[in-house]
Amino acid sequence: MSGVGPVEPGEGTRAWDTDEPGAPPPPRRSRERLALWYSLHRRAALTTATAAVLLAGGGYLYATRPQEPPPPAAPYPAQVVDVTYLEQVATPMGVRPRTFSFAVVLSVASGPPVTVTRIAQPYAGVSVTSAPQAPFPTKAGSSRKIVVTMRVTDCGKTPKSAGLPFLDVTLRNSRAIQVQSYILGARYAQDLSEALQVACSNDTG
Amino acid sequence: MRQRSLIAITAALAAGALTLTACGSRDEDGGSDSGSGGTTVTIGVDAPLTGDLSALGLGIKNSADLAAKTANKEKVVDGVTFKVEALDDQAQPSSGQQNATKFVADKNVLGVVGPLNSSVAESMQKVFDDAKLVEVSPANTNPALTQGTDWQTSKARPYKSYFRTSTTDAIQGPFAAQYVYNDSKKKKVFVIDDKKTYGAGLAATFTDEFKKLGGTVVGTEHINPDTKDFSAVATKVKNSGADVVYYGGEYPQAGPLSKQIKAAGAKVPLVGGDGIYSADFIKLAGASGGGDLATSVGAPVEELASAKEFVANYKNAGYKEAYEAYGGYSYDSTWAIIEAVKKVVEDNDGKLPDDARAQVAAAMQGVSFDGVTGKVSFDEYGDATNKQLTVYAVENGDWKAVKSGTYTG
Repeated sequence: MSGVGPVEPGEGTRAWDTDEPGAPPPPRRSRERLALWYSLHRRAALTTATAAVLLAGGGYLYATRPQEPPPPAAPYPAQVVDVTYLEQVATPMGVRPRTFSFAVVLSVASGPPVTVTRIAQPYAGVSVTSAPQAPFPTKAGSSRKIVVTMRVTDCGKTPKSAGLPFLDVTLRNSRAIQVQSYILGARYAQDLSEALQVACSNDTG
Repeated sequence: MRQRSLIAITAALAAGALTLTACGSRDEDGGSDSGSGGTTVTIGVDAPLTGDLSALGLGIKNSADLAAKTANKEKVVDGVTFKVEALDDQAQPSSGQQNATKFVADKNVLGVVGPLNSSVAESMQKVFDDAKLVEVSPANTNPALTQGTDWQTSKARPYKSYFRTSTTDAIQGPFAAQYVYNDSKKKKVFVIDDKKTYGAGLAATFTDEFKKLGGTVVGTEHINPDTKDFSAVATKVKNSGADVVYYGGEYPQAGPLSKQIKAAGAKVPLVGGDGIYSADFIKLAGASGGGDLATSVGAPVEELASAKEFVANYKNAGYKEAYEAYGGYSYDSTWAIIEAVKKVVEDNDGKLPDDARAQVAAAMQGVSFDGVTGKVSFDEYGDATNKQLTVYAVENGDWKAVKSGTYTG
């Protein structure tokens, strides 16, 4: 043998490309079967593949769709309420002596309605009432005028002059209840100081 | 034929893949790198980055950095990339002035955030104003910086280029006095300050209001901020019979001062301003610091949805240091500069004009946005229009908000 011819089959060997009589046909290679199936069902295959791609794409889009952010929590009332000083006003009829009144404006910028449950001031010798009387609600986007009436109950427990006085306003909305000090500025300080002096000079004089 | 069909399938799959890829890109960040072309604008930061006050200074620097990165990520100003350059003033006016000169010399700098200390601001204001370079401080509280030295009698703005997002000691000192006198029922105060612009100014506004309310000042002392031995002052406090101590100064001295006053036998609270509102104060004051009080600018963080977002973003950004008392204000100060730059660019057909600095300074006066600390805008003096402040008490080793106020005068 020159060694160039085919090797003779030995025991237990056989040629792959010849079917032995009576033997079952060898399984077709899967690629061939797929190609054969595809040639027979080309349109169906294309339709199925396209549908699968569309389905996958649609599913992905749905899964990653822009989510509506959850509604933001209501703001804390102190962050949306503003209280500003307006002016000194005539004291309502029928109140006791040593009283004086101021008008302030309370406004609510946004969020749920805010209820004023109490208006107070820090001096031990002064008591406070308001009109409208607390509690009263105010809606977002609106403002209301409040007349704050103060009565000096003990001149010994009031300041000689008020430098930067404030009103303590208790605010309530669906988020929280807060006491916020509103420092109403120099004009309020001056008017309050004068009113306190008048109230207490009447007392001593 | 078969090949054509395979090509068709491949094309369909490729189209699908491309579609998915395209869909995926909509949630991406839009590019935070500075390689998007256009102009780079530098925002300077001046703060104490080393030394005793570095906790506050680094919080300012990091927060400014976060604002710039956020603006770049969101492409807030089309064609402009912001870059932060921070310089250390070591809480020294002379260093602050040198830094101001450096910033002025860099033509890319269109705004500066800082400084922390009012005394440092005094040394920087004129340098910036001469160059029409806008400066926005997140922390200066001395009233004279915006309203002039005669602010109590006639307000006059000294520098048009200076703005601040924090409120002033004209409000902070009196608010503290009212809380101490009316709520804490303290009537005899011993007032101490560190002789610096901020500390002495704050102590003065507190004292003035405390006296008006009917309180008594039973003693006053000035300390040297370079020392940490306050035993002599502590003994004077003990002997004075004071039921409260007010300290105008900062936490590196306030912490040991509080500790030594208690150790001397005066079991009275120490009260200070935003300069002591730091976690480091609690560490330095030790266990006996429980009940000490501080006022600080702004509303408590937990009240502000915008502040919560800032806190989360700051955490995610991975900064090593805490944002501290002025982080939110620093972010807002930086954002104010960004908004001013945006306005100038938009008004100039999308480009920076030649006199950008002057225009940015002018635009700052009209800036208005919802920031971390609430609505951010400036009044005719360059002061923040949002004037909220809060009293905090040391409770169980932490600061706890006990009263909040809003100035609406």
